[in-house]
Amino acid sequence: MANIRKRPEVADVLIIGAGASGSVAAKHLAESGCDVVCLEQGGWVDNGEFWGDKPEWELMSQKRWHPNPNVRDLETDYPCETSESDVNPLMYNAVGGSTILYAAQWQRFMPSDFRVRTLDDVAADWPFTYEDLEPFYDRLDVEMGVSGLNGDPAYPPGKAPPLPPLPIGRIGMKAAEGMNKLGWHWWPGPNAIPSRPYGGRNQCVRRGTCLTGCPERAKGSTDHTHWPIALEHGATLVTGARVREITVDARGFATGAIYIDRAGREREQRANIVIVCCNGVGTPRLLLLSKSPRFPDGLANGSGLVGRNLMMHPCAIVTGHFDEPLESWLGPAGQTIQSMQFYETDPARGFVRGAKWQVMPSGGPLGMRAAYGGKPIEEAWGVGLHRTTRKVFGRSFEWGIIAEDLPDLENRVVVDPLLTDSDGVPAPKIVYRNSENTQKLIEFHVARAQEAMRAAGAIDMSVTPLMRDCGWHLMGTCRMGTDPGRSVVDEWGRAHEVPNLFIYDGSVFVTSSGFNPTGTICAIALRCVKHLIAHRHEQMAAE
Amino acid sequence: MIDALQRKTFLAIADVLIPAAEGMPAASQVGVGDEVLDRILSLRDDLREPFVRGIAAAAGKEPQAAVEALNRHDPEALGAIGLVASGAYYMSPRVRALIGYPGQEKRPGNPDEIPEYVANGMLQQVIDRGPIYRPTPK
Repeated sequence: MANIRKRPEVADVLIIGAGASGSVAAKHLAESGCDVVCLEQGGWVDNGEFWGDKPEWELMSQKRWHPNPNVRDLETDYPCETSESDVNPLMYNAVGGSTILYAAQWQRFMPSDFRVRTLDDVAADWPFTYEDLEPFYDRLDVEMGVSGLNGDPAYPPGKAPPLPPLPIGRIGMKAAEGMNKLGWHWWPGPNAIPSRPYGGRNQCVRRGTCLTGCPERAKGSTDHTHWPIALEHGATLVTGARVREITVDARGFATGAIYIDRAGREREQRANIVIVCCNGVGTPRLLLLSKSPRFPDGLANGSGLVGRNLMMHPCAIVTGHFDEPLESWLGPAGQTIQSMQFYETDPARGFVRGAKWQVMPSGGPLGMRAAYGGKPIEEAWGVGLHRTTRKVFGRSFEWGIIAEDLPDLENRVVVDPLLTDSDGVPAPKIVYRNSENTQKLIEFHVARAQEAMRAAGAIDMSVTPLMRDCGWHLMGTCRMGTDPGRSVVDEWGRAHEVPNLFIYDGSVFVTSSGFNPTGTICAIALRCVKHLIAHRHEQMAAE
Repeated sequence: MIDALQRKTFLAIADVLIPAAEGMPAASQVGVGDEVLDRILSLRDDLREPFVRGIAAAAGKEPQAAVEALNRHDPEALGAIGLVASGAYYMSPRVRALIGYPGQEKRPGNPDEIPEYVANGMLQQVIDRGPIYRPTPK
């Protein structure tokens, strides 16, 4: 195209997306001496922009810092068409990606998560095991500055995280008392939030505003944990660069990407290797947009699986109300304690797989956190407002339930025929329905969480069986595997059909587990990029 | 800019939504119609249009009836007015003191302290029950 301006250099590696996985890849590639360019559609976020330390925090949480891009409606976001989805996808587009707004619950999958076909006769096994990934989990604990307590009996014995656990507060203690009465598992939750100053970041002061950005520069978002090191080692980060297509040559090798800068100009960045790190919605969107005579159904989509098997972790909430002050606005948020009591499959329950639970604070008085508002007017206003505030505020906490949803071909990301982003690039459409297995799973877990609340002494409780704004975890849409007919990439993230195209984000997940995925996204990215670095002299590129 | 009549209408509706009751002051008693109203509408520009629309519809009407009419015919506008009113109300230092909310305060923990759940044996009960994971099949 005549109007496209080419950046002069051919980078060794082009990374698309400066979020969690792109940050890990950029840091390690730059440290290894590679010439790395990263294109990111968002910009840098300064911690002073966050509102957690200001009285207006709750008001700003419901718009500017809402996790749903359709609510934020920023130019740097792309909209998502969700009329055929039970769940809204959540994300943030910036350097650091969704780690800017994540809760930093830094979880590992359990060993069974990688072997669900073998153990539970559903979905598919992963092409590697927990033990294969464990060294990379260990390394990421150090890079992120994870606070936690070693010895959780829900995991094989392993290394301790580098920092001691954050306080669990009155809400964590209250929840733990209930779990002990029932003889159920709990453990102080690991968080990528430093309990003491670490790696240039400050100690967490427990403001409890992690989900709307950390004003203390404490939370482990990858704009702080990885990008400074990547830049120090020579990586080039281009912000405001919205990629609309990955280009290929006649042999089917990736040659780079075309992007639109903030002046509206189209530019091209060429590279010998392209790594896509746009996560479970952005990555399939980009591959499906990258059509060519050689790839008429989208890049690397010969299997037809690009965009398929979307998993978003339906989330249920059981909130307990207590007749004593619990200071339930205090962080971390983050998680205080977690439970994997009902994580593993029990055939007697009538469904397979399970869920992780976590206790989180319930926020301020305005309607708790951004996604939880909306009551009938009779309850919400008048004398009822004061009564509800007196009963609930500061005296409640929630058990959040992350339900493992299994891969389903019909749950998918497609390119919407009408909707576009602010640059006119077609936007993604989400088609997602909860399965019968998921519904049974949620029903069972909600009932158990209610038992846990009663055991802890709750005098009343409320249940949200499915939050619509809960799609923080976007997975499975370019799954990895050994069979090119049943997967998009191999165990090293390399596209089966494009030898110099890699995907390192949550879209490569084979199954979703019941855990917050960012720790595993980063561990997989690290495993893949270390393999790429070790084998770079064998790596083929476009001519 | 919100004019005096709009402000007066807003305060009347705000007092229906947040009355003096249960030991708590009414919205107008903590200044929700003062500068904080302008500040909220400047920070939350998305609320301005439905807010102004709702206030215009309520102007000159009996406040309780206006709230009920908005709830029936323009819930988006009532939602915007209610969010502005409650947002301002719960930002008030007097209200925060009455409900015991210090805001999202700084209260760091002591990382060198032995956690209470370790010291009192609560966590040991979990450890004593042993592993609960299924290992990787051989």
